[in-house]
Amino acid sequence: MTHQSNMANLLASTFMTYHSPITMIQAFNNNSFLFVKKNSYKKKNPRYNKHQSECLLFTYLKTPHLPKPKISCSNLPRKRRRGPISIRSTKPTEMVIANENKPNDSLKQGIADFYDESSGIWEDMWGEHMHHGFYEGSNGDTSDAYHRSAQIRMIEETLLFAGISDDSANKPKRIVDVGCGIGGSSRYLARKYGAQCQGITLSPVQAKRAQELAVAKGLDQVTFQVADALEQPFPNGEFDLVWSMESGEHMPDKQKFVNELARVTAPGGKIIIVTWCHRDLSPGEETLLKDEQVLLKKICNSYYLPDWCSSADYVKLLDSLNLQDIKVADWTDNVAPFWPAVIKSALSWKGFISLFKSGWKTIKGALVMPLMIQGYNKGLIKFAIITCRKP
Amino acid sequence: MRLLTHNMLSSNIKGVTNGFPLKIEAEKVMEKEVDFNPDFLRNMFYKIEWRPLVDAARTMGYAELPEEVEPSMLDSEDFLRRLHRALLQFHLEEGTLICPETGRRFPVVKGIPNMLLNEDEV
Repeated sequence: MTHQSNMANLLASTFMTYHSPITMIQAFNNNSFLFVKKNSYKKKNPRYNKHQSECLLFTYLKTPHLPKPKISCSNLPRKRRRGPISIRSTKPTEMVIANENKPNDSLKQGIADFYDESSGIWEDMWGEHMHHGFYEGSNGDTSDAYHRSAQIRMIEETLLFAGISDDSANKPKRIVDVGCGIGGSSRYLARKYGAQCQGITLSPVQAKRAQELAVAKGLDQVTFQVADALEQPFPNGEFDLVWSMESGEHMPDKQKFVNELARVTAPGGKIIIVTWCHRDLSPGEETLLKDEQVLLKKICNSYYLPDWCSSADYVKLLDSLNLQDIKVADWTDNVAPFWPAVIKSALSWKGFISLFKSGWKTIKGALVMPLMIQGYNKGLIKFAIITCRKP
Repeated sequence: MRLLTHNMLSSNIKGVTNGFPLKIEAEKVMEKEVDFNPDFLRNMFYKIEWRPLVDAARTMGYAELPEEVEPSMLDSEDFLRRLHRALLQFHLEEGTLICPETGRRFPVVKGIPNMLLNEDEV
């Protein structure tokens, strides 16, 4: 678990360096971090709960080896205080648990709220592209610019893999960006091909921001709608290129998702899905191992993800719709530097302050980042690209 | 929301056989200058549904588009300019899009259409 011990060191050194009031007491086994805030709140505030310890315990995830205390966090930074918040280390209270038994409406609302809340901070720290960078080899560069260019490279490598032509006869003229975020891919593709691009997202905040950025960059042929990828507001066969960059993981019904993608693709058009998956199951395996399921569940809860599938599942679905030239690749190794870089940016002073200012959903998302690394390290989480053509 | 977008949006409510085109109820329309790009227009021309575009433009207050078109008109700069203005310059900032079959209203707020369906419409 090299990443994990590096993470712990990184956390420790970052906190120590900044002499912040937060001292990391302990990084537990693999599953949680305990942030301890020393404060003199007790002295200043006569209403301080006598039952609280002197330190603010902010424990997040279930740790089988520790007792599970019920903790009040009434002394979070004052600007954000809305009264005592009870944070249990079992299931955090305001969580939407996304699984196929809950109505999809609450998942959709959770996704919309999550991105409404966190898009701003992401854009501040990482810019307009809300996806992994593509890395090959390592040159030791860890600057922001390096990661930004890796995110651009991800788009280019994706187009290359899918065989998207850029000569004027064959290039895409109408593109849909399914799960468009703040429109990074939409704008990039529209500019590259001189094409019209529609983006859809569940988040009104994202749609608005995406539109603002398009207008600011003079990209008039790019527009955004608040819409559901599972019920796309487009007639059949509308688009030459159907682009889903890291949105597939949010779709609760993979079959419906793939059906919609195929429906809105024009004959001869191409579909590109770049997504997080779990590893392919071996022949004879019906499900993932128990501890693998537990790990994924934790990640799902924080990122408003429904159950995961594998890239083989996607291939099967595409094949069942008679789509042609189905290609799949495992790019897990090519995205490996990404999560450590995101964690590092979250632990920067700017990142930290921004997280505090954002909201609980964003903070939860940030706290679960080490689990993504763990998932990748275990060979459980894969980063896959699947492309095909509609005959 | 521009007319270029409107020409591609349709209602996907369960049971609806033809959800295109959506009727427009305009409350606030703005016109914004956009750079003229004839190549883009020529590419788009073949993919536009013409009748819905003309009707929608009229709802937004623009009646200068010809009723009938043919590809040779793409050589005329005047035609391209009108097409450009209709497709790209008029923005529906506030209003409603209405499903032609069910009458269901989709709001357009600050230029962004909200096409999300309710559970029972899916």
